[in-house]
Amino acid sequence: MTNVIAICGSLRKGSYNRIVMNALPRLAPEGMQIKESPPISEFPLYNADIQNSTGFPAPVQALAEAIRAADGVIFNSPEYNFGIPAPLKNAIDWVSRVPNQPFVGKPIALQSASPGPLGGGRVQYDLRRAMVFLDALTLNKPEIFIGNCAQRIDEKTGKITDEQTIGFIKQQLAAFAKFIASYGGKN
Amino acid sequence: MSDNQLNVIVICGSLRKGSYNASLARTLPALAPPGMAVKAAPGWDTMPVYNHDLHADGKFPAEVMAWGEAIRGADGVIIVSPEYNWSIPGGLKNAIDWVSRFKEVPFKEKPVALQSCAGGALGGARMQYHLRQCLTSIDALIFGKPEIFVSFSAKKFDEKTVELTDQPTIDIVKQQLLSFEKFIRRMNGRK
Repeated sequence: MTNVIAICGSLRKGSYNRIVMNALPRLAPEGMQIKESPPISEFPLYNADIQNSTGFPAPVQALAEAIRAADGVIFNSPEYNFGIPAPLKNAIDWVSRVPNQPFVGKPIALQSASPGPLGGGRVQYDLRRAMVFLDALTLNKPEIFIGNCAQRIDEKTGKITDEQTIGFIKQQLAAFAKFIASYGGKN
Repeated sequence: MSDNQLNVIVICGSLRKGSYNASLARTLPALAPPGMAVKAAPGWDTMPVYNHDLHADGKFPAEVMAWGEAIRGADGVIIVSPEYNWSIPGGLKNAIDWVSRFKEVPFKEKPVALQSCAGGALGGARMQYHLRQCLTSIDALIFGKPEIFVSFSAKKFDEKTVELTDQPTIDIVKQQLLSFEKFIRRMNGRK
């Protein structure tokens, strides 16, 4: 079984990106299990003084361990001000400081939904760049940009309604399973 | 030389004779670890400016074919390029655009490492991140770290011979080549 965790970049309850994340377990190919990561909402704002005095906060350690144990990680993130949402960047910044940082060589896939036409294209390229620094292995294609997401996702029922979007996500997850099988695993 | 020595080609993004990037590219064979042989890729300087009409019959120009085949045949590719107007030089982009139209794109799942020299403080970083984006589109396996940004390059090469003389640069390039060898073996071993 391939174990994948999904990290949501939005803390908002009704988040479109959270809805997409919640749909993933049912869209995953056979042999891939997708679970939500431990929460990033309780992370303090990054400050090296904290790690140097009281050590890494428990939620940071929990996320780092979950990433380490996973065969792959999916980011489901909105775009804030053309970039990575601060809660998610804060989580990445914390985990990046954990000894033997867990993103090294880790297969990563990106998905984003936004109400605009680009569907979060810019946040994904920022995330890709951060993943270069962390030496992760980011899946190239297919990319998932859910543009005009209010028309493709029903906020009330918490479901993706657009069949084409569902099809794209299934395709990406299948490609991600292959990518993990080809390039994942410990060094 | 062992039988499993990796065969890596280096593509230079500049045509200028006295180019720092060309000089760095020429230096790579001597800096490569024993497990890796680095050779220059065929030139892209005679490729026509990309036009779909030129291959509408399914036939690509000979120099495009040769470039694509060299990439296909290599275990890995290193691109050493200057930054033009904060981005990829047009000539190099032209070559990439050409081979991206092959039915089987030769960059697909090909390990690729990047290096750049520039006169300014960033050493070509903006070009490299544009190049990473293009290589994502053609599904290359892009090497992560260490990154090679040779900033203030005029100070790091001999004024007359254009030879790379800066020891810290030589050391980090050696490190990248060694890490790239490991990356290629890891990626290819798991295909």
